[in-house]
Amino acid sequence: MRRGGSTFSGRHRLGIGIFLAPVLILYGAFFLYPLCFISITSLMEWTGISKAQFVGLENYKKLFSDSTFTMGIRNNFIWAFASGFIQIPLATLVALILARKPPLWKFLRTLYFLPNVISAVALAMLWKAIYNPTYGLLNGLLALVGMGGHNWLGDTATALTAVIAQSVLYIGYFMIIILAAISNIPDSLYEAAEIDGASVLQQTFRITLPMITGTLVTSITLAMAYGMRHFEATFLMTGGGPAYATTTMGIQLYNKMDAFRYGEASAIGAILILLGTVLIVLIRSLLSKNDPMAEAAQ
Amino acid sequence: MKSNPNQRIGAIAGKILVFSVLTFFFLIAAFPLLWLFISSLKTNLELQVSPFTLPKVLQWINYENALKMANLPSLFLHSIYVAFGAVLLNLLVTSMAGFVLAREQFRGRELIYTLLTAGVLVPIISFMVPYFTLITRLKLYDKLIALIIVYGSINIPVSIFLVTAFMRSIPKEMEEAAVIDGCSFLQRYTKIVLPLAQTGLVTAGTFCFIYAWNEFIMALLLTSSSASRTLQLGIRFFTSQFVTDYTSMYAAIMISIIPSIALYTMLHNRIISGLTAGAVKG
Repeated sequence: MRRGGSTFSGRHRLGIGIFLAPVLILYGAFFLYPLCFISITSLMEWTGISKAQFVGLENYKKLFSDSTFTMGIRNNFIWAFASGFIQIPLATLVALILARKPPLWKFLRTLYFLPNVISAVALAMLWKAIYNPTYGLLNGLLALVGMGGHNWLGDTATALTAVIAQSVLYIGYFMIIILAAISNIPDSLYEAAEIDGASVLQQTFRITLPMITGTLVTSITLAMAYGMRHFEATFLMTGGGPAYATTTMGIQLYNKMDAFRYGEASAIGAILILLGTVLIVLIRSLLSKNDPMAEAAQ
Repeated sequence: MKSNPNQRIGAIAGKILVFSVLTFFFLIAAFPLLWLFISSLKTNLELQVSPFTLPKVLQWINYENALKMANLPSLFLHSIYVAFGAVLLNLLVTSMAGFVLAREQFRGRELIYTLLTAGVLVPIISFMVPYFTLITRLKLYDKLIALIIVYGSINIPVSIFLVTAFMRSIPKEMEEAAVIDGCSFLQRYTKIVLPLAQTGLVTAGTFCFIYAWNEFIMALLLTSSSASRTLQLGIRFFTSQFVTDYTSMYAAIMISIIPSIALYTMLHNRIISGLTAGAVKG
């Protein structure tokens, strides 16, 4: 036995190896191998059957000169910004309210998160029904005030907004994360502010928000990263249409794969990963600049 | 001390704002689901004529139709098999690795932990091509076991994070006493750490289950026959059969989301504390 406390150190090389092996094999097969795979095949022309041919950056060039693909990039950026700068402020607003423990706050916290455990397939069909031009819920509600009859998902002018709106309004996930950060703020800070006669608004802007800057930066970064990779709800609700109005990089990837253009599909995968990583690094460094609170929280 | 009128108006306005915000998001989260449930019990005529009224007679037959037409029972079993299989595989491998990462000292430990948890940053959809070719080469295409392996693996980063964090929080004293009593490496895992880590394992398992139950795109990519069709795929495919029978389609969707809602109702505290475990660290 060596120093107390590290009783078991270094004595079970074999055991450690055996216990780590299964995770490392699966992680290698489903994370590391795919990373290498797409980096290499994105430089090849490959249909899956024929022999792959090295073509350099040809796939990337093709993609960036294809206006439907650049439309996909644009839409993913719109998704990212809507998630980071509409969804997170809404989630923060609700978290600030629930943190003051109004009646039913625990029930509401649970309920707001509920849509996050329901499958994208069910939610997509539900929202397709809501947006349905003839019998849908939204037009039904609008008809009560004398409007309605609009084909929300079928019109290129409203389709993207309609798909993004249903996703951005589900604030539950980030609301819970932000709420947890708020409840970690020591009560003594508020007690002192109360004695000084600070109003609720003053407490929010002078104490709560500065104290949770780190969590907010993390939430914005995460939400934007999810927006950059958005795929499923659009795939299920519109398939990228009408006329590519809602297309995303993920949908382009799926379509290329469906057409056996594996090289181009891999190139899209590589672009997705690169853009996502760049975005995460950029947002973090931009938002936490000169902000000691955020640095401390990291 | 009396507050001045301005302050009082401000307080009332604040209350109204708070109430409207909470109600709005309540409606966003609950109303569509409620509407779906009510619509699933109507006749198609009722749905089209008056989409917001309650049904005159509850049409449970819609659920019967859904069960029959979409062959839901077998889809349901496939999804149960895949979800439980994925959870078992995931918890087995991550509890072993988590045990070593949380309780042993060895070179490269931090590196392995960082590598494994960094997986959450990767957009899984970019792996569609490699997953497809890998599963085909392993001769697992169109087999449910492929989905078990893929879902169990995709959840490794999240589970490693949750399980390792939980195992770190178990006090070392018990293990040390057990070692003095002659407990082996394996016994420390099976007899001490594993039982004490139950809460962490349930949380990680719940996340994995919900993911596996709801997953759609990999199932679409990696299976083709009805013998290995999951519920999500089935719901998606069979909607074409319901083009005119919307209410039965809604009944089918209701059936597909009941397990998620039931699990969430039972374990929502676990799920919420699992989410916040990550948030505190930032």
